[in-house]
Amino acid sequence: MSAYLSRLASKASMENLSYLFNIVIAMLVGFLLGALLIAWGGYDPILAYASLVDTSLNVSDPYYIAMTLSFTTPVMLTALTFAVGVRAGLFNIGAEGQVYMGALGAIMVASLKLPPTLYLPLAILVGSLLGGLWGLIAGLFKALRNVNEVVSTIMLNWIAFWIVEYARVYVYFNPLRAEKTISMPPPGRLPIIVPGSELSLSYVISLATVVIVYFIIWNTRLGYNIRVTGISYHAAKYSGANPTLTTLYAFVLGGLVSGLAGVLEICGRPPEYAITTGASNLAGLGFDGIAVSLIGLNHPLLIIPASIVIGMLSAGSRGMQIRAGVPLELVKGVQGLIIISLAVPGFTYMLKRIKLKRSLRGVEGA
Amino acid sequence: MDLMSSSSGKAVVMSNIVKVYPDGTVALRGVNFELSKGEIHGLLGENGAGKTTLMKILSGLLKPTKGEIFVKGSKVVLKSASHALSLGIGMVHQHLSLVPVFTGYENIVLGIKGVKPSRKDVEELMRKVGLEAPLDVAVEDLPLGVRQRIEILKMLVRNVDVLILDEPTTNLTPIETRELFKSLRVLKEYGKTIVFITHKLREAMEVTDRITVLRRGKVVGTVKTSETNPVELAKMMVGREVVFSIEKTPKEPQGDALKVEDLWVMSDLGTQAVKGVSFNVRFGEIFGIAGVEGNGQTELVEAIAGLRNVVRGRIYLDNVDITYKHTKDRYSLGLAYIPEDRVKTALAMDMSVVENSILSLQWNSAFVSKLLSIKWSEARKHADRIVKKFDILVKSLDSPVKSLSGGNQQKLVVGRELSKEPKVVVAAQPTRGLDVGATEYIRKLLIQLRDAGKAVLLVSSDLDEVLTLSDRVAVMYEGKIMGVVDPSRVSEEVIGMMMGGYTLDQVRGLGGV
Ligand SMILES: Nc1ncnc2c1ncn2[C@@H]1O[C@H](COP(=O)(O)OP(=O)(O)O)[C@@H](O)[C@H]1O
Ligand SMILES: [Mg+2]
Repeated sequence: MSAYLSRLASKASMENLSYLFNIVIAMLVGFLLGALLIAWGGYDPILAYASLVDTSLNVSDPYYIAMTLSFTTPVMLTALTFAVGVRAGLFNIGAEGQVYMGALGAIMVASLKLPPTLYLPLAILVGSLLGGLWGLIAGLFKALRNVNEVVSTIMLNWIAFWIVEYARVYVYFNPLRAEKTISMPPPGRLPIIVPGSELSLSYVISLATVVIVYFIIWNTRLGYNIRVTGISYHAAKYSGANPTLTTLYAFVLGGLVSGLAGVLEICGRPPEYAITTGASNLAGLGFDGIAVSLIGLNHPLLIIPASIVIGMLSAGSRGMQIRAGVPLELVKGVQGLIIISLAVPGFTYMLKRIKLKRSLRGVEGA
Repeated sequence: MDLMSSSSGKAVVMSNIVKVYPDGTVALRGVNFELSKGEIHGLLGENGAGKTTLMKILSGLLKPTKGEIFVKGSKVVLKSASHALSLGIGMVHQHLSLVPVFTGYENIVLGIKGVKPSRKDVEELMRKVGLEAPLDVAVEDLPLGVRQRIEILKMLVRNVDVLILDEPTTNLTPIETRELFKSLRVLKEYGKTIVFITHKLREAMEVTDRITVLRRGKVVGTVKTSETNPVELAKMMVGREVVFSIEKTPKEPQGDALKVEDLWVMSDLGTQAVKGVSFNVRFGEIFGIAGVEGNGQTELVEAIAGLRNVVRGRIYLDNVDITYKHTKDRYSLGLAYIPEDRVKTALAMDMSVVENSILSLQWNSAFVSKLLSIKWSEARKHADRIVKKFDILVKSLDSPVKSLSGGNQQKLVVGRELSKEPKVVVAAQPTRGLDVGATEYIRKLLIQLRDAGKAVLLVSSDLDEVLTLSDRVAVMYEGKIMGVVDPSRVSEEVIGMMMGGYTLDQVRGLGGV
């Protein structure tokens, strides 16, 4: 651990400071663009932002902070999926579909007649495994047929979406409420931490998962092999690792984590504890995770603070609508502008590394 | 299509050409080169002699740092490849540059402005010069020899007078080579001037009219092919001043540490790269493999390390059959491997010195606990020991290895491999790209290993290196071993001739010994 701390200290170098600086600039640019959009819509940007901050980062009432953190819960995990992919040299954008599959797994368990204590562990198990399976499929496409993971994961995202929609309408429909599936029975729900808010124990599970994956990536042989493979296929092979198999593991690990995110949205988010029409309570979590991962430089631990941005924007969206009167569509637009701006520095940072890798690869041909 | 061209004399004169690459490499140091009209001119030299560089300058791809070029008597400043093409100079590169999904015909006429030659024209041309190729098949589905014909045809429909071929026989079968030579003679009859770049003496002797030999960016001489012989050419090609010598005490090697029997290995292109190679390396000796790069050495080494499948044959490490063993098992049986590509293979550039110090050692229980977690404190101590013992210059053990100089990177690789206490060390191009100090240091380490009773397989295209370090030297050519010699007892010409494609017996027959 002390070795790690000294490494962290030595890493607090110019490069990281300049990244922090870039993030601040990006944030300013994002908010500025958002303000222009709000003003263009005929609303007051200052009031809008004041209500955004007041209903998300307001420390005087734990409710607001709790709401913000509750929205960071799933995106930390989907960010982790993307980050693990990047470490393995992949552009894995399958978290979205893996969240759907994870949630579906939880609902499947919810539909069973079980001893009460079994709901939660079984939901976590089945949901994560379904997410992992979704990762595995993309991984097998890559390993066996060299199908680009961007293409396969986008397709798998859609397949997952329609499976979930089908299951919602025909299998796990709620006889009383047509717009959603059956709910997780109360014994399978995670306890709420801050009363009245949506912050449940799932936040703690999410944090713990981030730390565990961090440990796997940085301190185990598997993680080491994943990182070597991500840097150089040839070096991995040379070291005696099997890069193809290692890549597969990275896909599965990512899938498990996003599957868990889906489970936690079912077991840990009031009031629904269910999947709603068009998977609207799940949609976008996977893609927000990509942005979070990029902001956090695809580092598991940096994902934790980076996820606050998404949490804040989601939690404050209601404040912007109610207090400043900004319509939902415009709020979404502003959120998008800010997220994209924030992801730009991390994205260019990643591209630079990919370019470097390409140029190293190019040397061989000469 | 008009293949005949008139007027005689000098097609091209290159005068006092100097080329310094942006990274400071001096590739050409004042080269004078002349092409007579209608000749096949061989350009001969070892790896890195500057052959490709010189011809890229003539074909407009590179700008000379200094020097003048005259085409058909008038001075020109070549601005681009298409400019050179408009003056009738075209080059077919060593690595072919066709569009894989286009057909032969599409590739041939690609980029021609104005009226494109019809299929009929191309077919007639093919018949005339004897370069037959299917025109309607995507070139990615064609064998390399055929793709090359398409490249040549592509130049011919553009009416080049000077056709430059860069090591055209590298990927050809013997039959394809013979057919290519036939076509080259036909082209010559039509008045084309051809530059034939090669390092293969036998081919140069067979097909050229005159030969210019380059060595380290300088012309050694230009000779008429009919007035020279392979022995003289080999001498011109490799003759050199010895850079430095190393003290080596005589030693009696014993027991087979590494034995390779009738090994066949495929290249990435699907051709046979290693064709029935057998040799043995004993404890306490350095066994060198010399040869121009690309003659199967890379594939041979990768097969020994388990990174490439063996088609046929056996590999034994200290009498254990490792032919089908996994790489990591070969390491645990006592194999250490210094690969030729340090940037891509031997190191993970973005990782730290500590992390790289256990690359290929991540299977070793010294660095991994029962829970499969890595013992970073042990790894750190290990890295520290290597850095101290081999005097590696690093800012910190946590710096990424890409921030180290090439010499220090290589020392890290060598130090890591030697830390395994191996029985056999396979070192591929271990000093490539290093400065004199690091080179000497690593060479001395290899000698020390040998003196400590280890077996060293040294693969290097640096002839000085193989000859000064090795106790025995095998020369590889086109996937085969041309002969095994004691470097202290044969002349460099013999090695040079073997590198150029003559077996040891043939060399003896030609009086080269
Ligand atoms: N793009 C480049 N940048 C720097 N050095 C180069 C480049 N291309 C070739 N060289 C160097 O120039 C020298 C001559 O190379 P080259 O012309 O390719 O030789 P040959 O074709 O005879 O093998 C070598 O030392 C080589 O490393
Ligand atoms: Mg060359």
